[in-house]
Amino acid sequence: MADSTMDTLANQRNTVRKLHHALNYFFAIAVFIAGAFFVAVRQPRSLDFSGIIARSGIIRAAFFTTVQVSFIALVGSVTLGLVFYFFSISKSGFLKAFTNVFTEVIYGTPLLVMIFMMGYPVRASLNIATSPTMGLVGLTIYITPYMTNIFKAAFSSIPEEQYMAMELFGFNAFQRYRYIIIPQVIRVLTAPLMNNFSLIIKGSALLNIVATREIYYELFSWRQFTGRSFEAFVVMWGLYLAITLPLSQLTKYIERRWSR
Amino acid sequence: MKIEVDRLSHVYDVKVLKAISLKLETYRSVAIIGVSGSGKSTLLRILSGLEKPTAGTVSVNGKDVRTKAHRESVGFVFQSHNLFPHLTLERNITLILEKTRHMPLEKAIGIARGNLEALQLSDQMHKLPKHVSGGQAQRASIARALSLNPDVIFLDEPTASLDPILTHEVLMAVKKLRTMGKDFVFVTHVISFVRDFADYVIFMHEGEIIEQGGPAILDRPQTPEMRDYMEKVH
Repeated sequence: MADSTMDTLANQRNTVRKLHHALNYFFAIAVFIAGAFFVAVRQPRSLDFSGIIARSGIIRAAFFTTVQVSFIALVGSVTLGLVFYFFSISKSGFLKAFTNVFTEVIYGTPLLVMIFMMGYPVRASLNIATSPTMGLVGLTIYITPYMTNIFKAAFSSIPEEQYMAMELFGFNAFQRYRYIIIPQVIRVLTAPLMNNFSLIIKGSALLNIVATREIYYELFSWRQFTGRSFEAFVVMWGLYLAITLPLSQLTKYIERRWSR
Repeated sequence: MKIEVDRLSHVYDVKVLKAISLKLETYRSVAIIGVSGSGKSTLLRILSGLEKPTAGTVSVNGKDVRTKAHRESVGFVFQSHNLFPHLTLERNITLILEKTRHMPLEKAIGIARGNLEALQLSDQMHKLPKHVSGGQAQRASIARALSLNPDVIFLDEPTASLDPILTHEVLMAVKKLRTMGKDFVFVTHVISFVRDFADYVIFMHEGEIIEQGGPAILDRPQTPEMRDYMEKVH
């Protein structure tokens, strides 16, 4: 067979494959929309979003509060996570033990309990900040061991031999991090970091118990006044997905680019 | 090159080198052979300064292997090329020259290109290690060792992770280095290469040097251990 015929065949197969791919996603999404539609039409009352639209200013503020507190928790937990990573590789047995105990305690704690503990009893004992602030501290601490973990994984992705080479060629500590370790680690780190950010955004909904006026808090209280559960929760859900879905797509895009 | 080893011992979890002594003066190309776990790689690493000996004194060309002066006068070629994976072949060399030898970048580039060219890598030097063959990467790591202008180059089983064709390619490159007037110490299992490249052979077994001499010792092993080894590698 001539080369050009082969090319045409290969192209056709490729097009068909892409079409299949697109159709599969189309139907998968359609199933979800159909499910939502089913729930919507089965509501005892007719749907009415006018109350939410009237409160759109408050809800927009709540949306930005969610983004803001999540971002603070991200920066905080990355910083703390790095500190605990250095503890875990330090020569001090106590710091290592401390990191392990901390990690075990956090892994065994529900986030809701963590936020409540920090927001009320711990806040009362220290009396240095408000409940919402201490709740945010709780969220930050809760994510920290997960951050420590991704630092561990990222740094251990550099094999022992490379450290030997750095030693042999005489790079100093700053040069090692600046030119060799960080440029490699940053690539391994980005995707799991963004996944953890997603975890924080979802976790931030629990900050409503310390009266942080984020997405869940505002829509839930509106629902308490109006009894309109479907409208409140569907908007709430949509707002979270509006942050997390683009984030996960961006993560996948970055992973693909960097794996080349 | 001059190698002096006096009662060298080295301990990891077990003792891998047992009070070795060695005195070599005029040889240009020394091969260390022996089965895996005989301590040959450890001896090489200590001679190169990559690892600090637990006990004993070791010097190469009069420099104690624990000193910075020694480390700066040697080149090392690892078993698997061990190039930094995020840098191009060229940058793998220039980064070291620029940052640790404080050389202006233009000069570093000149040296890197010269050595990469000598190892037939001119058209590959802007690629990342993962985008070249294993043999090319290993040759680049030889070029890296050369660029530091070392007195002695240490090679730790430079062909262990390569197929026979790439092995040949890399060994040809090593041979070429001899014409550049460098001295070598290397660990390998490729006996034919030892035969026509080494002018001194050290056979190690369980942390001790049990036979040594010119390449002729390969044909007349005196100990049952070396006889056994020679049978197995052939």
